Amino acid sequence: MRWLLPRNYLFTILGIAVGVGGLVALGAMAERITRFIDGGDRFVLGQISVAGEGMGMGTGFTAGGLLRAAKIAEIARVPGVAAVQPQVMLPLNPTTSQFLTLTQELILGMDPGVRMPNREFRDLPVRDGRPLRAGDRGVAVVGADFAAARSLRAGSRLDLGARAFEIVGVLDKTLTAPDRFAIVPLEDARDLWLRRDPLLVQVFAGGGMTRADLNTGAAVAWADGVDPDVLARRIQADVPGLNVTIPGELSRLLRQSTAFFSALLFGIGVLGLVIGGLSLANTVTAAVFERIRDFGIKRALGATDGQLLREILGEALAVSVSGGAIGIGLALAVGALVDARVLRQGQQLFLFSPRLLGFALVFSVILGALAASYATVRIVRLSPAEAIRRGA
Amino acid sequence: MVVRASGLSKTFRGPDGGPVPVLEGVDVDVKTGEFVAVAGPSGSGKSTLLNLLGLLEPLDAGEIWFDQVRVSGLSRRAQCPVRGRSIGYVFQTFLLISGLTALENVLLAARYVGRSRREALPDARALMERLGVAHRSDHYPAQLSGGEQQRVAYCRAVLNAPPLVLADEPTGNLDEGHAAVILAALRSLCQERGASVILVTHRADAAALADRTLRLRAGRLETDRAG
Repeated sequence: MRWLLPRNYLFTILGIAVGVGGLVALGAMAERITRFIDGGDRFVLGQISVAGEGMGMGTGFTAGGLLRAAKIAEIARVPGVAAVQPQVMLPLNPTTSQFLTLTQELILGMDPGVRMPNREFRDLPVRDGRPLRAGDRGVAVVGADFAAARSLRAGSRLDLGARAFEIVGVLDKTLTAPDRFAIVPLEDARDLWLRRDPLLVQVFAGGGMTRADLNTGAAVAWADGVDPDVLARRIQADVPGLNVTIPGELSRLLRQSTAFFSALLFGIGVLGLVIGGLSLANTVTAAVFERIRDFGIKRALGATDGQLLREILGEALAVSVSGGAIGIGLALAVGALVDARVLRQGQQLFLFSPRLLGFALVFSVILGALAASYATVRIVRLSPAEAIRRGA
Repeated sequence: MVVRASGLSKTFRGPDGGPVPVLEGVDVDVKTGEFVAVAGPSGSGKSTLLNLLGLLEPLDAGEIWFDQVRVSGLSRRAQCPVRGRSIGYVFQTFLLISGLTALENVLLAARYVGRSRREALPDARALMERLGVAHRSDHYPAQLSGGEQQRVAYCRAVLNAPPLVLADEPTGNLDEGHAAVILAALRSLCQERGASVILVTHRADAAALADRTLRLRAGRLETDRAG
């Protein structure tokens, strides 16, 4: 313990802890947003999303019109298509602006009998309970944030559009869109859609449509070795009357639309490094200069420049590691407190990834060593008597 | 150890950037086992002379010889072991390291000359016992009285049995009783171990213990007379 917390270094360690804590907290916010954007990117690159022509519900990832069963069958026949999963995606709250589809809560109706076509999300990890099964009705699996915001767990009851659903599973955190999903069997989602949309009811009642035609879109999987962008263009060419998203283009669009956030993240990262780095370097340098008299005494006792440098680096390492660890602890504590508060709104602000924590610790050690070396080099230039005089 | 210094000069820079000569052409010779006092008014250059002789400050001019070695011509690096092995310092303000215990302060002198803690520990304990501070081994400097701190500083100065001990007003912050202990210890170094001691002091009684007194005035050696 004495080695970890050398005497008279308490305030130095606390100073470093504040700097590193700030760096880690800012970094954790950046990590959270990065993971969200990356998750969305992985999702769109993992499947070809198809909707009917027109505006339709314009929700989720399939902004477009009604996608009828006949069209789905045509898509399935396009060479290179491995599977097509019809889906109904509805906003949980229809009054929410549809431009917020990346962050709003969604109801996703899907056929659990068909394997998830998305290559990046083959199986959504279930933390509590079980996934949807073929033949399920009146049940739902909800995302982690969706569940946390409503204190839901397996066995809870959830009212969606005046219909009661039993929660059979809660997903593990994915840090992207599915965290805010309520996933229900496709037939249940179709019922919810019909209840919500009077126009659709009129069209449906007019005949010429079956329940199988009630899809807001479909997720298309491609066969191994097939270029998804080429296949998406082929579907668009071979099956008229569709809105087909080209995964590569959508990914580029997503990146462009999140360019501001990426710049913001870069700014946060640089700010964290500058604030945390300056704080740490200043604290370590000041701590070494404060002990200038001690170093003068040691030189009077015969210490060489190398011996002093090794001693100071050893101490700088100890205080940097101690301060860094305490700073990380502080950031984790503050992050947990804030996240506990915002989780009630289904949000998570911080992501303390191992790479971030590792970086913060290595960063503090390296910067601490550099700052200590700088201060030592300045000090050893002085004669022992001068060092003692300045430190008096 | 025979110490010979000739033509020692030192000039500092004043607040206005101008030169402030502190020592000008001072010659000093100290024989093995000799106890030499350096006296003079404040600002006469006593402490600077001690710092130069102790290789704590670079010279502007002059030479310093320890026996047959011109130590003033050694490189910065080569002067380090000379300081560690050949010179012991006792300062007026003790200059103990606040984060170390009394015993650790004493043992610090061994660290930089390659002596292991195990080897130096018996010597450190014996010295502290002799100076009456062994019971304070685990105390930090702030927990010690001035007299105890100076006795600890003395133990540190002589732990490696240096042939030259430089004491800069070691009794300046002590009462009569503690001052007597330190002066007696310095005197015994010369008599029992044959060490050379140079003592800067304002005290007439301290100077009276010396074999010889050097008197400085305005950076120049005024007199050199037997004590």
